[in-house]
Amino acid sequence: MKRIYAVLIDILAFGYILGSIVFLLQQIFDFSLQLLPLILLSLILTLICLFLEDSLGLLIFGFSAGKKYWHSFSGWLITVMLILTFICGWIIVEINPLYFFEGINNTRGILQGLFSPNFQNLLPMLSALAETIYLALLATIFALPFAFAFSFLAARNLMPNTFWGNSIYIFIRTLATFFRSVEAIIWAIIFCVWVGIGPFAGMLALMIHSIASLTKLFSEQIENIDQGPVEAITGTGASTLQIWLYAVIPQIVSPFLAFTIYRWDINVRMATIVGFVGGGGIGLALQQEQQMLRWHNVGLIIWLIAITIWIMDMVSGKVRARLMEL
Amino acid sequence: MEFIKISNLHKTYPGGIKALKGIDLEVKQGEFLILLGLSGSGKSTLLRCLNRLIPSTQGSIIFQGKEVTTASQVNLRGIRRQIGMIYQQFNLVKNLSALTNVISGYLGYLSLSKSLYPLLDKELVNKAQKNLKRVGLEQMAEKKVRNLSGGQQQRVAIARTLMQDPQLILADEPVASLDPATADSVMRYLGELNRNDGITIICSLHFLSLARKYGSRVIALKDGNIVFSGSPSEIDPNRFREIYGEDAEEVDIV
Ligand SMILES: Nc1ncnc2c1ncn2[C@@H]1O[C@H](COP(=O)(O)OP(=O)(O)OP(=O)(O)O)[C@@H](O)[C@H]1O
Ligand SMILES: [Mg+2]
Repeated sequence: MKRIYAVLIDILAFGYILGSIVFLLQQIFDFSLQLLPLILLSLILTLICLFLEDSLGLLIFGFSAGKKYWHSFSGWLITVMLILTFICGWIIVEINPLYFFEGINNTRGILQGLFSPNFQNLLPMLSALAETIYLALLATIFALPFAFAFSFLAARNLMPNTFWGNSIYIFIRTLATFFRSVEAIIWAIIFCVWVGIGPFAGMLALMIHSIASLTKLFSEQIENIDQGPVEAITGTGASTLQIWLYAVIPQIVSPFLAFTIYRWDINVRMATIVGFVGGGGIGLALQQEQQMLRWHNVGLIIWLIAITIWIMDMVSGKVRARLMEL
Repeated sequence: MEFIKISNLHKTYPGGIKALKGIDLEVKQGEFLILLGLSGSGKSTLLRCLNRLIPSTQGSIIFQGKEVTTASQVNLRGIRRQIGMIYQQFNLVKNLSALTNVISGYLGYLSLSKSLYPLLDKELVNKAQKNLKRVGLEQMAEKKVRNLSGGQQQRVAIARTLMQDPQLILADEPVASLDPATADSVMRYLGELNRNDGITIICSLHFLSLARKYGSRVIALKDGNIVFSGSPSEIDPNRFREIYGEDAEEVDIV
């Protein structure tokens, strides 16, 4: 099996090297190559490698050729790959140091705005900020009961090792991973269409994301509890729910609260981003002011966000530290 | 009718390790039975099979006329209620008070709704207080278990077990993580429960001196088999080497 993986890795490595070379040639000459010959070529190179007994795949699985890095074919290949990756990356990302220095003048407006924020707009901006904080808070609160319930079903040590137990465990875990891997900003776009632009859409987006990530954090916390009390309470003849009540929940309450507060903290940050695509709150205001190039208002908003996050960070850190002592 | 009758008990762990290889054992009511044996000889496995914290693979365990190995979930809970268990690591919930930990020993007798606010139940609290007093910890009721010493924690665990009004107490190396003096005091509490309350005790130990002092009978396990059964005084240096291997020599710790 390892040999098959090794061969696959070699094919991919050669494919990558050849692909990068073709890409570079395309940039210089107007020249294009079909996919098929590329794949065939890397297959052939891999076959040659098989006879050399010295290739990347073999190296990864620990069958080293026993030569010095610079003398081995695989070492040489790695070097080529690194250099090609860097060159291609430079071209793809359109790196241009000249722009970096020439363009500095364009930021004058923003910088000026930042240093002389428009306090005339403080009141409406503060209300937008409150919207952000509240929508983040409600997203967290609404997510909490769902995540709490799901986390028990997604904890390996609580689910029985039966067909249904395993199915539920895998189902919830997979779902949580999926919902977490879709960024909150994507959910915000979906919900803006669903319920219309505004804080409600932002809250729903953050809630979905919070449920998924809290479920994961919570269930991992449950999996890390001390199993001793669970065993002991089981031994007294208690029922499953009583065991959860007396041996599991007391061990997880304070870490759960700590995670929840941390999540609120994260949600406030995310709420600004989510606001940008229509999720309401200060993010939406920031996007509107920025579109109108009202830099003094933008400056005010940036200050407000920075101060809020700074305070949240401090407070939630303190509270969490206290909770962990309980 | 025997109090406990174990016949041809086998336990094979999922990995294929055979921890028990056909144990036959009868225990009479009121015995203080000591389990000896090297690490890995199967002591913990045997104790946990008795209340089915671990399912056995083959054989039968009759406890007070009831078959443990095949009991339904409901009956199993009834059986477990009668059997207290003490653990080497105490197995208390560290961030709850001693009192709540003791109360949790009574859960087998409570419905789910009754177990929600146990501290409101005067009778239950009194019972728990009484049991804490028996182990000399009435002053510590409100304290978080985390702030108690090892010996105190093990005594809380004993009080928790007493809430079950058990017929039998299984103790898995109850003093292995305590210093010798504390170990002896914890064993004294177990001895007293055995003598005064007539609770049968099966206790695994590593110290022969404690076995001699408290045990009424000793069983020695080796590789999942019983290799010795007799009174503690019968264990002479030869027997000792049979149990613990050729090079072993008794060291007195207490
Ligand atoms: N959960 C488990 N899974 C697999 N094998 C196990 C498990 N628990 C115990 N064993 C194995 O079963 C055998 C008996 O273990 P057991 O814990 O009963 O011994 P013990 O006499 O209690 O030892 P100790 O004095 O170290 O507590 C050992 O070989 C051990 O490795
Ligand atoms: Mg053991």
